[in-house]
Amino acid sequence: MAAPMELFCWKGDWGLPSVDVDCLAVLTYARFSGAPLKVHKITNPWKSPSGSLPALRTEENGVISQTHQIITHLRKQKYNADYDLSARQGADTLAFVSLLEEKLLPALIHTFWIDAKNYVEHTRKWYAESIPFPLNFFLPNRMHRQHMERLRLIRGDAWIEDEGELEKELYRDAQECLSLLSQRLGSQKFFFGDSPASLDAYIFSHLALLLKANLPSSKLQQHLKSLDNLCNYCVSILSMYFTWDMAASQSTSPRRAQAEPQDGDEEPHKRRNQILSVAVGLIAMIGYALLSGIVSIQRGSAGNAVTGRVVIGEEDEED
Amino acid sequence: MSLVADAFVSQIAAAEAWPENAALYQPLKGEQILLSDNASSLAVQAFLKMCNLPCQVICRANAEYMSPSGKVPFIHVGNQVVSELGPVVQFIKAKGHSLSDGLDEVQKAEMKAYMELVNNMLLTAELYIQWCDEATLEEITEPRYSSPFPWPLNYILVYQKRWEIQRKMKAIGWANKSLDQVFEDVDQCCQALSQRLGAQPYFFSKQPTELDALVFGHLFTILTTQLTNDELREKVKKYKNLIDFCRRIEHNYFEDHAKDTSAGGMQRLPKGPSLH
Repeated sequence: MAAPMELFCWKGDWGLPSVDVDCLAVLTYARFSGAPLKVHKITNPWKSPSGSLPALRTEENGVISQTHQIITHLRKQKYNADYDLSARQGADTLAFVSLLEEKLLPALIHTFWIDAKNYVEHTRKWYAESIPFPLNFFLPNRMHRQHMERLRLIRGDAWIEDEGELEKELYRDAQECLSLLSQRLGSQKFFFGDSPASLDAYIFSHLALLLKANLPSSKLQQHLKSLDNLCNYCVSILSMYFTWDMAASQSTSPRRAQAEPQDGDEEPHKRRNQILSVAVGLIAMIGYALLSGIVSIQRGSAGNAVTGRVVIGEEDEED
Repeated sequence: MSLVADAFVSQIAAAEAWPENAALYQPLKGEQILLSDNASSLAVQAFLKMCNLPCQVICRANAEYMSPSGKVPFIHVGNQVVSELGPVVQFIKAKGHSLSDGLDEVQKAEMKAYMELVNNMLLTAELYIQWCDEATLEEITEPRYSSPFPWPLNYILVYQKRWEIQRKMKAIGWANKSLDQVFEDVDQCCQALSQRLGAQPYFFSKQPTELDALVFGHLFTILTTQLTNDELREKVKKYKNLIDFCRRIEHNYFEDHAKDTSAGGMQRLPKGPSLH
């Protein structure tokens, strides 16, 4: 057996193994299928080999960074949670995953990233506190912009004109989607009977995130909480497959303290951090020098052939 | 459809009967309409026919800009304008016609899920092939999309639309897919539909629903449209029950009305041989 596959994903919080929908889906699927993964829970997407999270580093296929592709890859490696499903159930899986992506995901993005109150008090706060120093100033904003762009492209241009209307439409779709899922689940333990499949991983990741986050404004959360079978479904998956993580997340800080030096040993990251900090320092110094007039750039002074000339302090005094 | 219109619909539409002069607007049939628009338009037409509501198809070069949501097709009924299949279904439901009333809750959930599957995979694949595959873009999409517009405008509009679609593909993670992967997705989607349909006449046994209309719109259009190569069509043709399904709906809902001018929209599509 070759070296184990390595999975990079966002770290967990709020009683969840990961705070990101996609990472959570992959983690859950890995648990369901029993795939042996070496999981790196990190808070810096730049440390991921693909620059985004989740990412799976494999022996044969290099780095895979899309949720669907990761799950397909795991399935091909014989870690198949859908082995017992009939063809018809396989078709249902595809259909319900589409339903999630089209109806629930836009509302989730809106809830976490666009809704002003949630974004400022919850999402941005969490990411700003978790992401390490220089990055935490701009990464949350960049993620915010990316999500906004994504939502705009999914829903078309119309929503910029009337945000309130878009919001209502999104939430109506999402509530309908939640109700449909609740009806489809009924009183079963999982969506296809007694054993979990990939569909459960997708649905669980979306629902659990919504259920567990402490959102200040939570219309959708209220609706989910009113659907008892979906709530029980999330809680039971959490307790069945992630008990160990729950216990560990209580004592998160010592574990992370141990993990830190180990990360530091990884040469490329260390080198990158060094270069980055030197670059930031240089930019700051040059910026200060320019702004405070220690160094100034003169353009085309009389009779001078050189168009741009750097005049250093002493010459400045002659002027 | 906007929520204001939605509230308006539920209050007023129910009272009004279906007018004689209801019309469906779409881009020009012969020289302008693209695969994805034709599929959506055909789906709405099929849905209206299944509800037994007469509707005249009107082709306009600027249909896209007339539509309230910027997407074709849209229907004009009485003094209301509704675009796209989802809102049209809601609108018709408010009028008291519904195809999915007989389903139980689980079936309704499945129907919605499969409709999203078609939108998510088939429609996106159609858009990808039209706007992101260079050969199709150059040979088919560009000349057709810009055909009604004069010189500088035709380039600007094509460029604008193309840019928008490509950014959308990037946002949903399709930008890195190759054409083969897209065909693979189409195949997967057709396989799922074929499995779900099985040997039944319609997706939920005897009666057609809006899902049947949507699937018919897309598959029939794919089967009858000539693209730069036949690969997309071949993917669908592998599934015998889907082809039979398309023929069944064509036969039941389109052929006997074919003489009507109101169904003129269908006449242009090659029939028979292309489905064999």
